[in-house]
Amino acid sequence: MEAHRCDHYLTLLFEHQLSYLVRHYKPLGSGDAVTVEELVIRLALSTSLSLGRMFAAYVISLLLALITGVAMARNKYVETVLLPILDVLQSIPILGFFPAVLLVFVSLLGPAAGSELSSIFLIVTSLVWNMIFGVYSSVKSLDPSIDHLTKVYRLSSIHRFLYVYVPASRSSVAANSIVSWAGGWFFLTSAEVISLGKAEYRLNGLGSFIIEAFEEGDTSAYTTGLLALSAVILVSYLVIWNPLAMKYADARTLLGFVRTYNYIERAVSRAWGFMVEKLLAVYNLVRRGMGFLVPLSITFLWGFLRPHYTGLFWVDSVVLGKVMEYGFKFLLEVPNTFVRVYSVVVAGLAVSVLLAYASHTRLKLGKLIVVSGEILSSIPAMMWWPILLPLLRGSPWVVMMFIYLQGSLWYAFFNILIFGLSSLKESVLELSRVYNIRGRLYMLRIFVPSLLPSILAGGLSASGGAWNSSVAAEYMAFENLVVDMGGLGSLLNRQAQAGDVLGVLSTSIFMSLVVVAVNKLVWARALRRIGGYLAVE
Amino acid sequence: MLSSRNVVEVRAISKSYVSGGRRVEVLKDVSFDVGKEFVAIIGPSGCGKSTLLRIIAGVEKPDKGEVVFHLSGKPVIGFVFQFPTLLPWMTVLDNVALPLIAAGLRRNEAIEKARTALKIVGLGEFEDFYPGELSGGMKQRVNIARALAVEPGVLLMDEPFSNLDPLTAETLRNEVLDIWLSSILPVKSIIMVTHNVEEAVLMADKVVILSPRPAKVVKIVDINIPRPRSRKASEVQELVDRVYEYVS
Repeated sequence: MEAHRCDHYLTLLFEHQLSYLVRHYKPLGSGDAVTVEELVIRLALSTSLSLGRMFAAYVISLLLALITGVAMARNKYVETVLLPILDVLQSIPILGFFPAVLLVFVSLLGPAAGSELSSIFLIVTSLVWNMIFGVYSSVKSLDPSIDHLTKVYRLSSIHRFLYVYVPASRSSVAANSIVSWAGGWFFLTSAEVISLGKAEYRLNGLGSFIIEAFEEGDTSAYTTGLLALSAVILVSYLVIWNPLAMKYADARTLLGFVRTYNYIERAVSRAWGFMVEKLLAVYNLVRRGMGFLVPLSITFLWGFLRPHYTGLFWVDSVVLGKVMEYGFKFLLEVPNTFVRVYSVVVAGLAVSVLLAYASHTRLKLGKLIVVSGEILSSIPAMMWWPILLPLLRGSPWVVMMFIYLQGSLWYAFFNILIFGLSSLKESVLELSRVYNIRGRLYMLRIFVPSLLPSILAGGLSASGGAWNSSVAAEYMAFENLVVDMGGLGSLLNRQAQAGDVLGVLSTSIFMSLVVVAVNKLVWARALRRIGGYLAVE
Repeated sequence: MLSSRNVVEVRAISKSYVSGGRRVEVLKDVSFDVGKEFVAIIGPSGCGKSTLLRIIAGVEKPDKGEVVFHLSGKPVIGFVFQFPTLLPWMTVLDNVALPLIAAGLRRNEAIEKARTALKIVGLGEFEDFYPGELSGGMKQRVNIARALAVEPGVLLMDEPFSNLDPLTAETLRNEVLDIWLSSILPVKSIIMVTHNVEEAVLMADKVVILSPRPAKVVKIVDINIPRPRSRKASEVQELVDRVYEYVS
C-alpha cells in the first residue's frame, strides 16, 4: 500500500496567499483587541464551517476515488486513458494556473454558493489523487478467485461495486485518508480566500479567521485561531483517522481513541447500509424494465454536448516555433530544479528512515513522532510565514528548502512510518532476535530492506510533491522584493506573471514529461524489481 | 435415449486456449447426459475438468457445442468452489446471502434463506463470524451453504473435498450425500469434478471418465450400488478398480 502525492496547493498558496499576506503585512500585536465572548463565538462558527467543508470535500473525494479507482482497475480502456493523466495531474501544479475553473462555479451559481463550492472543489483537488490510486491498486490486486465467484453468481456491476470493490478498498482508503486529511488542512487557508483576477471571495472559516487575525495584527486572535486549528486537527486524527487505519490497515505506530471511534463507525456504517439498500432498490426497479432510460439519456446528453466539441485544438507553424523556443528555455532551467527536487527527496527519505528506526525501537516514542507529524503536516503553510518572512531577505535558500521539504517530506514520512513499519514481518524480527543481529548490521541487512517497498512508494510520492512545490519555492515576489532562485518553478512563475498562457502550458507539459519519464524509468522499475525480490522467501 | 428425462445435456463441447502464442486444446468433443442423479467427472489433473464445469456453469463459452438445461424457468446453478472463496470483509451470513441479493431478492428475504442454508450445513451458530475466524472445514461448509442457498436446480462442485484433511473430507462427503438424498432442496442433479476415484465411486450414480489433455470422454461407468456404500464392500472395490483402469 502507498500514499501518493496530491498537492497543487503550493501553487495556489503562492498565487493567492503569499502575495496577499505581504501586501497586508503588519507586525503582530498592533491591532485592537476584541472581547473574549466575541472571539469564542466567531472561532466556534469558523471552526465548524471549516470542518464541514473538509468533511464535504472528503466525502466527495471518497466517492470520486471509489468510482474512478474501480473503473480504472476493472476497465482496460479507462485505465489506459486515465492512468497517465492522473500521473501528470498529481505532479504538475496545472490547476493552480487556471483558477478559471472556479469562475465557472461562480458564474453558474452566484458568488455565495459558487465560492463555497469552489472552495470545496479546491480541497477535493488536494485530497483525491492518492485516494484514487489507493482504490485502484487494491482493486487491481484482488484475488482472481473472487472474480470467478462474481461471475458464477452473476453479480451485476453495481453489486460487485458495493459488495466487493468498495470493501476491498477499505484498508487503502483508511491508510490514504491520513495523508489526504493533512493535505486538506494544509490547503484550507488557500481554499477559503479565493481570488479570481481582481475579485476576491472570502469564506467564513478557520483559515480566513487566522488570515484576518494576522492581517489585523491581532496576536491573541491569531494565536487562539492557530491553537483551535491544531486542536481540531489533533482530535480528528485521534478520534477518526488513526483508529480507522489501526483497524483496517494494521497500523501500529498510531495513537487513537478506539472506543469513541467505534461509535462513529457504527453510525457511518448504518448510514451506508441504508444507502446501499435504497440504491439497490432503485437498481432492481431499473432492471425490471426501466433499463432503456440509461442509453436514452446518454444519447440525449451526447447530442447536446456534441456541437460544443469541435474546433478546440488548432496548431499552426507560428505556435510550433514558439513551443520550440519554450523547449530551449526549459532545457536551461531543468537541471536546477531537478537537482533540488531529488536532493529534497533523498533527504526526506533519510530523515524518515531514521525516524522510523527510532519509532521501531521505542513504540511509545514512535506514536508521539507520528502524531507530531500529523499535526505539522496539516498546519496550513501560511502559519509558518511569521517565522519565514524575516529569513527571506537574508537567507532565501533556507526558505526555499523549507517550502520544498514541506511539500515533499510528508509523503515519505507517512509511507515509511505508517505503512512501512506495519509491514515488517514478525518472522524476520524473530530471526534477528534469535541470531542477535543488532546495530548497523540490523539497520542495513534487516530494517532498511524490509522497508524498501514503502521507501520507494514514499520516494515516488515525495518527488511528485517536490516537483509541485518548485512553483512556490523558487520564486517569491514582493512589492519591492523579488526572490528568484531560478529553475522551472521560477520560469513558470515568470511566464504566469507575464500572462504567457502558451508558455505556462508548454513548460508544464515539458515538466510533466520529465516527471513521467523519471517515474517510469526509476521508481516504477525499482518498485517492480523489489516486488519480485521480496516475493522470494 | 429419452432426452426428456435429462436435466443437463452436454453436447459436443470443444474448447482451446491460446497461451504463450500457442493454441492448447483442452476439451475435444465432450458429450454426456445428466439425469436426476449425481454425476462425478473424473480425469487426470490438468485435463480440463474445471474448464468443463465452468462451461456448464455458463461462466465460460465453449468454442463448439452447447449445454442444454431441461429445467422449468431460468436454470439456477449452485457452485461449490475448490477453495472456499469467501469475502473476508463480510460475515458468514452475508457471504451466503450475497448471490441472493445479487439475484434481486430483498435483504430480509435473502438473509432468511441464507440462515436456513447455514443451518442445513450445521453452521447456524456461526452466522456472525467472519471467514478469518473459521477452520478450513467450516469455510468449505459456508461455500456449500452459499451454493445451496440459491436453491439450485443443478449443483456444481469443483473438487470440493480435495483441500481438506481426510477426516473432515469424509464427514463433509456424507453430509452432502445426506442433504442430496433427503431432497429438502430442489437440487435435481449434482455434477462433481474430482480426481479421487474412490470418492467418485462412493458418491456418484455415474462416473464420466475423461482422458488426458485434450480431454475426451473415455468411458461412462454406472454405479448401481445401493447407498449407504461402504468403502470396504467388494462391489465398491471392483468398481474402483475398473474406473482406475480407464483413468490410467
